[in-house]
Amino acid sequence: MSTPDAIIRAEGLTRRFGDFTAVDDLTIRVATGSIFAFLGANGSGKSTTIRMLIGLLTPTTGEIEVDGVDVIRNPRLVRDHIGYMGQKVSLYQGLSVRENVEFYAGLYGLDAAALRERWGALSERLSLRDVEHEHPADLPAGVRQRTGLALSTLHRPRVLFLDEPTAGVDVHNRALFWELIAEEARAGVTVFVTTHFLEEADYCDRVCFIESGRLEADGTPAELRARWSQGYRVRLAGDAALADAPDLRRLLERCAPDGIELRRTPEGVEIAAGQLGREWLRAVGDLQRTHPSLRVSVDEPPMTGIFRALSGRPA
Amino acid sequence: MRLGETHRPVPGLRLRGLVKHFGAKVALRGIDLEVDGARILGVVGPDGAGKTTLLRCLAGLLEVEAEEALVLGHDLRGDVTALKSELGYVPQSFSLYRDLSVHENLQVTARLNGLFGDEFAARANPLLERTGLAPFVDRQAGALSGGMKQKLAIVSALLSRPRLILLDEPTAGVDVLARDEIWAILRERKHEVLVVVSTSYLEEVEDCDLLVYLDDGRAIATGSPAELRASVPLELYRAWGDEPRAAAAAARSLPYVFASRATGSHARIEVRRADTPGTERVIADLLALPERPVLVAERMAIDTESMLLSLARGDRGGNGGPPGPGTPANAAPGPGDRAAATSNRSPGAGASP
Repeated sequence: MSTPDAIIRAEGLTRRFGDFTAVDDLTIRVATGSIFAFLGANGSGKSTTIRMLIGLLTPTTGEIEVDGVDVIRNPRLVRDHIGYMGQKVSLYQGLSVRENVEFYAGLYGLDAAALRERWGALSERLSLRDVEHEHPADLPAGVRQRTGLALSTLHRPRVLFLDEPTAGVDVHNRALFWELIAEEARAGVTVFVTTHFLEEADYCDRVCFIESGRLEADGTPAELRARWSQGYRVRLAGDAALADAPDLRRLLERCAPDGIELRRTPEGVEIAAGQLGREWLRAVGDLQRTHPSLRVSVDEPPMTGIFRALSGRPA
Repeated sequence: MRLGETHRPVPGLRLRGLVKHFGAKVALRGIDLEVDGARILGVVGPDGAGKTTLLRCLAGLLEVEAEEALVLGHDLRGDVTALKSELGYVPQSFSLYRDLSVHENLQVTARLNGLFGDEFAARANPLLERTGLAPFVDRQAGALSGGMKQKLAIVSALLSRPRLILLDEPTAGVDVLARDEIWAILRERKHEVLVVVSTSYLEEVEDCDLLVYLDDGRAIATGSPAELRASVPLELYRAWGDEPRAAAAAARSLPYVFASRATGSHARIEVRRADTPGTERVIADLLALPERPVLVAERMAIDTESMLLSLARGDRGGNGGPPGPGTPANAAPGPGDRAAATSNRSPGAGASP
């Protein structure tokens, strides 16, 4: 455990329930200020892992450190450092949004002045000012989720655990929610998030997949695509003459050393690459500039395919 | 509007001016919808648009007002007992008998529908095989994973061979493999049953034969996914480069750019058709942005995400909701807030005694 910039460090985490091993020798590190996607099928051990990371469940074996706190020895201490939001946002139905906020602020020990300042900023940023006197039952799911995010960040935690924060939320509010998550990360907060909307993995700096409690893959979205997909296809189509253009030949030569495949097609060429590379992208861009009629289309392997590839592996 | 042709005489949905009030609150403000034949109808739209209420109306669970409200030929304004025996309904929070096994849960449903013995087995077994639940028939329903519970609820709803099945977000919180299985079942059944399903997943919206887009209790768009995509008055561009966020921000400086947003590897840029200077010009402008954040630019067909966001923005004008994603109003937080948040990083500041 010596990665200095890792704010979450779990080492050899194992949790057994009787004969059943829910989490099996899991080691993860989450860099400070990053957005970390923790993905896996239903029942793969995600929730058990999160419950251990936030000090609600003691691992059978293993070590956990979150923001410098030894979570296993001091499970209560870690709660001042973290915020947690689940799929079912816990709001008191009888209280208005504002009253919920005041209640949570009390639990976190925020005084009136601190609350006023913090809620002022949060309600503005999360577009909650207009609904602060509404009751949770009257609010659409997207607004409830934003309220949940506000509550989980009231005490300015350094680490946010978001367990399926966008489940059942519409596409517009999901996009908005991810803007807010990105803002938190830019402000230095580390975000540990689970989701079944796999396109959301692309908003994350690092993605880890678990299956049967074991780590199956861990990398940036680009690394996962390179390893677990057919890779990118970039098609260039234009006048037939273009296929013989010297520019294109130069492109071929520049790309070939990088192990990128280049195929001629009836319309032009197709580039196949495990990942996007600055050099060859720039070369394609140069071609676009000199041949404005060139049609470019990029196929990016979807994250759903990667999830399927990983889940399909024999355990 | 009349959607699709009849595969066989399945009288589907025929709604004109369907209105649903809850006290003073109007949940549905006059829905017109005509769907014939077996197919998959997706109910989409923002949270609070009335999707769940519409499904509950179709299930005969709510009293409605309408000029016409026929479901499978039964009038929702009259006695719906017969209708209820012809449909399967899986609400968002459905109830399984947690202490009963998978098999026992299905038996309860079967008995309620007058299915016994061999006939029960003949219907249940293929569905259990198909959903991958077969190895778990003796497991308590309460011990199933979220995805398996959803599958059990759907198997249960399909057991009596309904002519209409209503599924309210059946895959919320369900992993992609279980979603694949659930959708495979729906696609197999769609020739014999009208499937009405609400969903927030983009790929599932794409898999529907027809969509009805609800907003604020109104059906503001109806058609196939392709028809709805074609109706979007936008052009969609993608800009690829090292810093998608910088590319998205820089693209906003182009006067004709309507919205711009970064995702992992690229920026998505939308231009109103009415404002576009033409594809070649847009691409040239993106490639020429100051500091060259864009290495490659492409125009792509409108996808489901852009279609839904566009429909959402279209009627989102005056309800006080937040601005659309990617608009300049979503820029970084104010300097005061940022400074305050950053100060939290100093050692010890985050921990209270």
